[in-house]
Amino acid sequence: MISGTGKGMGHFEVELQLKAQELVSVLNEGKLSDAMEIIQELHEFRHQTFFSEVGHLTRGLHEAIKSFSTELGSSLEIDDGSPAQEDADAADRLNYVIEMTEKNAHDTMDRVDKALSLVDKLDSQSERFKDLLSLVGQLEKEHDSLNGVYDRTCAVKEESEQTIGILREELTDIVVSQSYQDITGQLIRRVINLVTNVETHLVGLMEMAAQVERLSGVEILSDTDDQQTNKKNPIQAEGPQINKESADVVSNQDEVDDLLSSLGF
Amino acid sequence: MNKDMKILVVDDFSTMRRIIKNLLRDLGMTNVQEADDGQTALPILKQGGIDFLVTDWNMPGMTGIELLKEVRSDPKLAPMPVLMVTAEAKKEQIIAAAQAGVNGYVVKPFTAAVLKEKIDKIFERLG
Repeated sequence: MISGTGKGMGHFEVELQLKAQELVSVLNEGKLSDAMEIIQELHEFRHQTFFSEVGHLTRGLHEAIKSFSTELGSSLEIDDGSPAQEDADAADRLNYVIEMTEKNAHDTMDRVDKALSLVDKLDSQSERFKDLLSLVGQLEKEHDSLNGVYDRTCAVKEESEQTIGILREELTDIVVSQSYQDITGQLIRRVINLVTNVETHLVGLMEMAAQVERLSGVEILSDTDDQQTNKKNPIQAEGPQINKESADVVSNQDEVDDLLSSLGF
Repeated sequence: MNKDMKILVVDDFSTMRRIIKNLLRDLGMTNVQEADDGQTALPILKQGGIDFLVTDWNMPGMTGIELLKEVRSDPKLAPMPVLMVTAEAKKEQIIAAAQAGVNGYVVKPFTAAVLKEKIDKIFERLG
């Protein structure tokens, strides 16, 4: 989406060749002061080209981010009836993703909670079933036709209890797997920070470019590097690690345990 | 392990607080309070009555590692067992948490079995 950079540089080359030829010809004629003037013009021209290129790139990038936000805005028609705001920025949209996944994770867990209470009910029914079964056990002695029914029913009951146990584990796993919402949410927050940072710096760059254009030719390239952002605290919270191959990152709980036990834990 | 002990679960994501709460409930521990970052957790801890702290690391306001250091530097809170449950997975961070006096470290995403194992281990050691 960033366009228009080639034209400026091409234009610069054409101008450079023209001026170079002019320079050679005035030198051949021995007009030294004219030659110095041409060199000065070239110098200024180079600066202007450079600044207008930077301005171009900056504006292009800013437009790209703006249109990204707008596109996201129109493609994310929120289904709960609240209007998708036209002017919502990328950060708002990403926050919306966090909210949606959070809501859905809770909905899922609500259902799992209901399912778990049904499992509890099955458990208590199983207890009552046990009482009934012991009754069958007593009757079995009195009626030959009931022979073996007690044992067979006990086997079925046991099987059903095992199934209930497995069901409970599966439901618990569903709850635990909702942690994706936390993991993805942390990553999205980092992207939100990045986008916000880029936008802020872009605005600064655009202001600088505008100023340079106004005072054309004046160099005001102050050192805008933020030294503090370069010095990173090594244990600063970063959220989930994407690159688990990296040597300074653990890739699973076993590695955490190994590391801690090497520290005497 | 005393099943009635009071536990404070600190995480900025409500999803994760609920997951941990559910798993603790499965372990028979239902006396659970919640806080969404270190800043809200600390006053709760200072009020007294909390027996076990389960905290995330990456949170706005006050992070989990800062909360851990606060706990260890407060003579009243210092002996409290602290389990860190976090996505932070750099070796340097785990070492820093160990040096700050964490009792257990679980990386997200985790399983119910891992969380149970670490909690059991913490209380086994404390006797």
